[in-house]
Amino acid sequence: MILGLDMGGTQTDTVLVERGRVIRATKTPTGDDLLETLRTAIDHTLGDLDPGAITRLAFSTTMATNAIVQDQLEPAGMIVSAGPGMDPAWFSVGPSYHIVDGCLDHQGYEVKPLDRAALVNAVSRIREKQIRVLGLVGKFSVRNPLHELQMAEWVGDVFLHKALGHQVSGVLNFPRRITTTYLNAALYPLQQRFSEALVGILNEKALKAPRYLLKPDGGTVELGKSDALPARTAQSGPAASVMGALALDACKGTTLILDIGGTTTDMAVILEGVPLFNPHGIRLGPYQTLIRSLLTHSLGIGGDSEVRMGKNDQLKIGPLRKGRPMALGGPAPTPTDAMIALNLLDVGEKEAAVGAMATLGAPLGMNGKAVAQTVLTTMAESIAEAVEAFLYEINSQPVYTVHEVLKDTKIDPTSVLIMGGPAPQITPYVGDALELPCRVPPHHDVANAVGAAVARVTTSVTLQADTQRGTVIIPEADLEQDVSHRFGLDQALILGRQVLEEQARRMGAEHETLEVAVTEKQLFNMIRQGRITGQNIRLKMSIIPGLIPHWIRR
Amino acid sequence: MIRAARKTGLIFFPAFDWAISPDHPEREERLLYTQDQVLEEGLLDIGGIVEYRVRPAGFEDIRRVHFCVPDEAAVTTESHLISAGGCLMAADAVQKGEVESAFALVRPPGHHAMRVVHGNRGFCNINIEAIMIEYLRETYGIRKVAVVDTDCHHGDGTQDIYWHDPNTLFISIHQDGRTLYPGSGFPEEDGGPNAKGTTVNIPLPPGTGEEGFLYVLDELVMPLLQAFDPEIVINSAGQDNHFNDPITNMNFSAQGYARLNARLKPDIAVLEGGYAVENALPYVNVGIIMAMAGLDISTVKEPNYDQDYRRQRPEITNYIEQLAGGLKRRFLREAAPRTSDREGEVVERSRDIYYDTDGIHERQHEKIRACSECAGALSIASTSNRGQHILAVHIPPGACKACRDTGHRWYEQGEKGPFSHVYLQDRVNRVYRQAGGQG
Repeated sequence: MILGLDMGGTQTDTVLVERGRVIRATKTPTGDDLLETLRTAIDHTLGDLDPGAITRLAFSTTMATNAIVQDQLEPAGMIVSAGPGMDPAWFSVGPSYHIVDGCLDHQGYEVKPLDRAALVNAVSRIREKQIRVLGLVGKFSVRNPLHELQMAEWVGDVFLHKALGHQVSGVLNFPRRITTTYLNAALYPLQQRFSEALVGILNEKALKAPRYLLKPDGGTVELGKSDALPARTAQSGPAASVMGALALDACKGTTLILDIGGTTTDMAVILEGVPLFNPHGIRLGPYQTLIRSLLTHSLGIGGDSEVRMGKNDQLKIGPLRKGRPMALGGPAPTPTDAMIALNLLDVGEKEAAVGAMATLGAPLGMNGKAVAQTVLTTMAESIAEAVEAFLYEINSQPVYTVHEVLKDTKIDPTSVLIMGGPAPQITPYVGDALELPCRVPPHHDVANAVGAAVARVTTSVTLQADTQRGTVIIPEADLEQDVSHRFGLDQALILGRQVLEEQARRMGAEHETLEVAVTEKQLFNMIRQGRITGQNIRLKMSIIPGLIPHWIRR
Repeated sequence: MIRAARKTGLIFFPAFDWAISPDHPEREERLLYTQDQVLEEGLLDIGGIVEYRVRPAGFEDIRRVHFCVPDEAAVTTESHLISAGGCLMAADAVQKGEVESAFALVRPPGHHAMRVVHGNRGFCNINIEAIMIEYLRETYGIRKVAVVDTDCHHGDGTQDIYWHDPNTLFISIHQDGRTLYPGSGFPEEDGGPNAKGTTVNIPLPPGTGEEGFLYVLDELVMPLLQAFDPEIVINSAGQDNHFNDPITNMNFSAQGYARLNARLKPDIAVLEGGYAVENALPYVNVGIIMAMAGLDISTVKEPNYDQDYRRQRPEITNYIEQLAGGLKRRFLREAAPRTSDREGEVVERSRDIYYDTDGIHERQHEKIRACSECAGALSIASTSNRGQHILAVHIPPGACKACRDTGHRWYEQGEKGPFSHVYLQDRVNRVYRQAGGQG
């Protein structure tokens, strides 16, 4: 049996699942103390069950996200080296940001050595501020980590933790590498405390099974391995619902996923069982990062959103949530009140809901029932509008080859899977607005927790070989090797797969889940003075999101 | 987040799966390191820099400009259509007001492609700027356009297409044709009888540096633009004036290109040549994008600039000052009024054109009706050593009645003539016709 938990802003969903069945599902209010919430949710769910029966535990938590959004990060020092180009001072982050001289070019050749004296000076200024964690980032370090490794060596062991830019991602983007490295440094002590405390709670409850945290890319990482790169577990909630969709529905064709919660509606697309990825990296609060994530969009409309009369007598829904629905004693009318007033839902005090709708419609001379209908059609139309913008953006992604331009594959959903609390009630309205067949999966109200429970480990590597220079590099794995002139695509693929699999195992992957996808494969002849002098090979390989073998979809 | 002072569109199409031939300089790898540099700089995350997805142009877009022999399909590949389409995207983005300016960072290039196309010249098949300009005229009703070509090679294709058009100011700044392909682009080449003075060639001596380029920009180009008062300014942004370029002899830099762009402020920039793929293009393109977006460009520099860049020699400065002085007299102070003393006459010229890439020899005989009311009816009889003998008739946008009638008469006569193909490009009525001649 597996325990899966998804912590939301107001509510924490927990499930026990076994081979495609949801054995138990609970909802616990999310409190200010996340560890207390976790403890309560686990107690609440396990009840008197034998903890030995639990074979796996997986958590999607808001720890990292909250720390970022509420600005509770540990002060982290930053040392960067850049060379010419955009002024690195523009990317200053944290309380002690320092630029030292040194430059690598886009091929990874050293143009200017690192200024050791400046680095030493920066270190003392950071230490003067009693800062315990440090981020070290070089421009083009994913092409050659030399300067970052030198920085780390010259800094020595005077910090609690040093985060290195080339290890966070193999993708080219210096400003995002800076912010991502900063977040990994600044979250390190928090994540360490959190995982220690969580381990303590689990041990105390005799829950000894392997423990995982969910990441925003729809995959998991073993709890014990999460400290080094803590930022990659932030904002995993939307990924939990996408993985829940995959767990509870076959998601054939092109499926639009809508997770309609209390405050927000999250959307995503699954293409023949594979979720679409965000091509750049997730945004965390004000920070653009290189953290891989599924492509999701969050709209500020949910079942508990405030409904009010806007300009031109048009109903406005969200983005604020004033509290619970009026039928449950809340302060403002909500779509949930509309559902209750229309007898679609039987909770709380119906009278309060009907009254709320009547008050809302009074200025227009509309009766409560008519207003309630309008609330739900307006909600559905707003969602449909956001879906259209989301799809437009997906289909406007640039492509760089003749082949892709001519293939012109458009993402055009063939059906919609709707999850979340209000899913059954709102589905007919959304179906009309989107003009697409909609369905609601079983356990729609805890699908996110199911997703967290059964998501497998994911990871990815970026390989670049330059046979003219005679090197191959996989920055995420700190791999740098000399290669001969004959090193080709086949060898690159073999090497990439080997490194990827090792990395996945280190993160806690089970052997049978190592399904490797080559997401980018490019080979360029390098032509100098009219002759082919080498090859430039670029690969991106990943273990894509999927379900652990234990789970059987019903 | 950093924000652009000017909202800028970027249309990036590196054609990573297309080359002229396996070891040709116009190759898959050409923009690879430019992409690396642009991505690493994080330029696409800057608020106000918007990247667009390309779409291919259609044959109808080509027909407004070119006479393709025997037809469009024979002289283009998909990549040419997409490169031209990238320019159309740039035009749309600017004209619809989505961005203030746009950069079509696309390949293959186009500025050596002339009005009649038998094949590939100087790596170009179709003229992507001209296709964009005629699209702008057709779609958005724009009339007066200026093109500033800053490629190291003379933009002879663009010059040919706009030779007779008084509504297009074509300025080419390039390495002196006595020292570089295509060997043309001298000050005496100043436009046809109906468009004297709207073609301006500025042939700079080998070794021209940042100073020299910016000097002719300030002294000549900017005043010419001010006098012409175009509705839109286009920069053919070739990048082979760079000091790291192996096949040219100029001494320009990424910083220079960025400053040139910041002063010129083109509405649309289009990549042309430049084959120093590792040590010039990445930095020049970053410089151009930053300049277009109105960002601080003072830190734009090649990694080897301090070590390898040499300042312009004094004798070159003198030469350029003299050259600019002569050009100023010719084009600014003594600019002749554009009325022909041969009104209504047909003016003829013959010339030979060589297609270096495809090894084609073309012989043209051209007739233009001297006209002060419009750009004039134009007919080109063209013979190639591939056995083609064609007649092409162009009736320009806004043609007067006399020129329209002349053009139609020439076309009808041509149909009975000894030609393998006869073409009509009637821009007034939007009629594009092709007939087999009697030949």
